[in-house]
Order: sequence, then structure tokens, then C-alpha cells
Amino acid sequence: MEWIRFFITAALLIMGMISFISAVIGVYRFGFVMNRMHAAGIGDTLGLLCVVSAMAVASGLNMDTLKLLFLIFFMWFTSPVSTHFLSQVEYYTNRERARFMTFRKGGEPRES
Amino acid sequence: MNIDQAYHLLFMGALIIFAVLIGIMLIRAVIGPRITDRILSINMIGTMTICSIAILSGLLHEGYLTDVALIYAMLSFVAVLILAVMYIPAKSTRGQKQSRPEMADTAKEKKLQQSQSGETTRQKARKKGKKA
Repeated sequence: MEWIRFFITAALLIMGMISFISAVIGVYRFGFVMNRMHAAGIGDTLGLLCVVSAMAVASGLNMDTLKLLFLIFFMWFTSPVSTHFLSQVEYYTNRERARFMTFRKGGEPRES
Repeated sequence: MNIDQAYHLLFMGALIIFAVLIGIMLIRAVIGPRITDRILSINMIGTMTICSIAILSGLLHEGYLTDVALIYAMLSFVAVLILAVMYIPAKSTRGQKQSRPEMADTAKEKKLQQSQSGETTRQKARKKGKKA
């Protein structure tokens, strides 16, 4: 029984490591920030889910499991918010944004 | 092979891989051509640090390290948010027609879009309204 738990932990941890490594490779291979955000989102969601749930499986059922699940919940809510703000920064400060992004026809996207 | 040794080996391997990945992302933060690249890599470093603290709590059998991971998640989020909000220009209030302060120059883009697709529909509508 202990070994079954160990193998579940190892499988989840290796999946998390693979997704983190692919996120880092994506951040290096893409050429523009919006594409890099897409690559970094893999590590922020799937990698964190796999690694933290592996630790929850390894620790068994106690108070730490609840804290780790709350950690997943918190990171899944805050990671899209920070990505959204980063893309807003990119939109407002990049002087050559028309080379990289396409806007809707009919004006600026956030024109009020 | 004892099961404690197996867990130790697994967690130590994961921690070493995380250390290498954090170093690689630190290089990305140094060579990133724009400010958003740097903030993005800082965000990734924060996520990896949270994961390695969670692994460390399993390696050392210390339950309170999960609390440290939670606090680190909040701190990393607030750091990224404040760094990002510093660069966003202030928004105009709703209802009033204030010109939004644009940091990037939109004149080049508008010329580019007009040369690509002629006049856009909203601009045509505005011109018609002015004539009437």
C-alpha cells in the first residue's frame, strides 16, 4: 500500500516536472511576450496542480492536504489576474505593438 | 530499497531540477528585452519556488512549510500586480469624455491599419455624423 502511494506521487511529480520544463523551453523559444505568457501559463496551472497534488498524496489525509488544496485554488485564481495585468502593460507600453498584435477592426479594443 | 530512501531520492531529484529551472529563468529575466519579459520570468520563478517549498515540506516532514508556501504565493502575486500596475496609465473616469493618456504612440498604428484596410467602419460613421 505504501508503494502504491509512492508510485502515484512519483507519477504526478514527474508530470509536473515535464510541464515545468516545457514551460521554460517555451519561454525561451517564443519571440514575443504574449506568446511567452501562453507558455508560462502551462507551468502556472498544470505544473503547480501536478506537483502540489503529488505532495498532497504523499502527506496523506491531514490538515496539510487542505492547505495544499487551498494553495492550488489560490494560484489558479491569481495567475490569470497577473497575466491579464501583464498583457495590459505590454499593450500600453510597447511602441511597436502593431507589428506583433492585430486589433479588431473599428478601433482600439478598450475604447470606452 | 527502503521506502524512506525512495521518497528522499525522488524529492531531492525534483528539488535539483527546480533549482536548475530557476537559474535558467533568472537568465531569462536578465536578458529579457522588455520589462514584461522580466516580470513574466519573476512570476515563473515565484511559482517554481512555491512548488519547491511544497516539496520541501514533504521531504522534511514539517507541516508548517505549507503555510510558508501559502504566504509566498500571496507575496508573489502582490509583487507582480504592483509591478504591473505601476506601468499602466491612469484610466479615465466613466461618463466623462477625457482623452486616455496613451504611452505608446497610436498614430503609426492607425496609419498602418488605414493603409491595410482603408477606412474602418466606425471612422466612416463618425464622419457621416459630423457632416449631418
